[in-house]
Amino acid sequence: MRERIGKLLADGLKTQTEPFPETAREFSRLLDELYRLPPDDLRGKLVLSGFTDTPYGPERMRCQECMYYLVHRKWCDLPELAVPVEADWWCRLWRI
Amino acid sequence: MANLLWLQGGACSGNTMSFLNAEEPSACDLVNDFGINVLWHPSLGVELGENLRKLLRDLVSGAIPLDIFVFEGTVVNAPGGTGEWNRFAGRPMKDWVADLCKAAGFVVAVGDCATWGGIPATAPNPSDSQGLQFLKREHGGFLGKDFTSKAGLPVINVPGCPAHPDWITQIVVAVATGRTADITLDEFQRPKTFFQSFTQTGCTRNMHFAYKVSATEFGQRKGCLFYDLGCRGPMTHSPCNRILWNRQSSKTRAGMPCLGCTEPEFPFFDLAPGTVFKTQTVMGIPKDMPNGVDKKGYIALTAAAKNAAPRWAEEDIFVV
Ligand code: SF4
Ligand code: SF4
Ligand code: SF4
Repeated sequence: MRERIGKLLADGLKTQTEPFPETAREFSRLLDELYRLPPDDLRGKLVLSGFTDTPYGPERMRCQECMYYLVHRKWCDLPELAVPVEADWWCRLWRI
Repeated sequence: MANLLWLQGGACSGNTMSFLNAEEPSACDLVNDFGINVLWHPSLGVELGENLRKLLRDLVSGAIPLDIFVFEGTVVNAPGGTGEWNRFAGRPMKDWVADLCKAAGFVVAVGDCATWGGIPATAPNPSDSQGLQFLKREHGGFLGKDFTSKAGLPVINVPGCPAHPDWITQIVVAVATGRTADITLDEFQRPKTFFQSFTQTGCTRNMHFAYKVSATEFGQRKGCLFYDLGCRGPMTHSPCNRILWNRQSSKTRAGMPCLGCTEPEFPFFDLAPGTVFKTQTVMGIPKDMPNGVDKKGYIALTAAAKNAAPRWAEEDIFVV
């Protein structure tokens, strides 16, 4: 699965990296949208959450430092995402 | 023998319920072991009507000495400063409170309503409620900031929504047995013995806090409740994880975030749907940091903590 996601990203899947949810309220709005997707809609999830396969922005934000990233499992523990990820990836649900 | 009177203003009775549930010491121990004479209490008092009025008048006049006056609930000033919305024994409760506080050796405010106004005093505060000596963070309240009781102490504030039963009974015993010299108060007049440490002190999720592993739902048996669920444990002064509730639990142990109920801001969050029990963030970073941590430090700390996180931090360690 991680490889499949990696391939989709490497092949240039266009995802919505902007706007970054600035406040908790915008963040939960995005979660609600994610929650409404069919559970097996992987592409939908990737697009809506704005996945990239590189660190993002001037602060080089990446999964490794994100609250939801489980280091040992290389797993995104955000219930609305719940996907395997790489430490150097990022998505706009990033939170520290 | 110390005479104690307990009255209730704008309140839900939560602190009375809490008090009756006390075990160390219990409400009965107060009477049997510590010689406290409970003159009247809303759930325990037997006097009614004219008998009660006479008791109150005698306490105000000094015919019966009032050693400890415990007040639960807000002082209701509405409408228009008359206090008529909260009448008791023939007159506005606020008038009784003013007179009794002057007559009392010690005044103890129990629960958030009596200490800082709590929920009733939250904007728009329709009952024009005040705490005895604070209104939220502002010193003054109903009695004014210079008030001291006959024994020379300001109001002793035992906050909480409700206050833990043993915080109440232990303070009452300390006062009744003349150990007030042992009670030092913090800037909000809370006894330091209870309110110097944080809710986080003794929290079983401390390791998860350190390694930044988040609980994402209520009741989850791993993870810290700070990062997602708005736990106020790192900024709230309370001993909830040292003096457990029902002797065995606390909010955080049950997987429920601390709401910060012992602080004057309670309930302070933006109560719009979707924002309750959510850590408020700005660009992915928590708006309120743990005490003494700044934004830059927080980011650096997180990176270090994540790198050092042991494998077990990802497992469910709350084995029942
Ligand atoms: S929420 Fe996004 S940035 Fe955070 S771990 Fe998951 S995928 Fe990575
Ligand atoms: S933030 Fe809350 S859950 Fe986390 S360690 Fe502190 S008190 Fe416990
Ligand atoms: S855990 Fe927090 S909200 Fe709960 S009683 Fe203690 S201080 Fe209040």
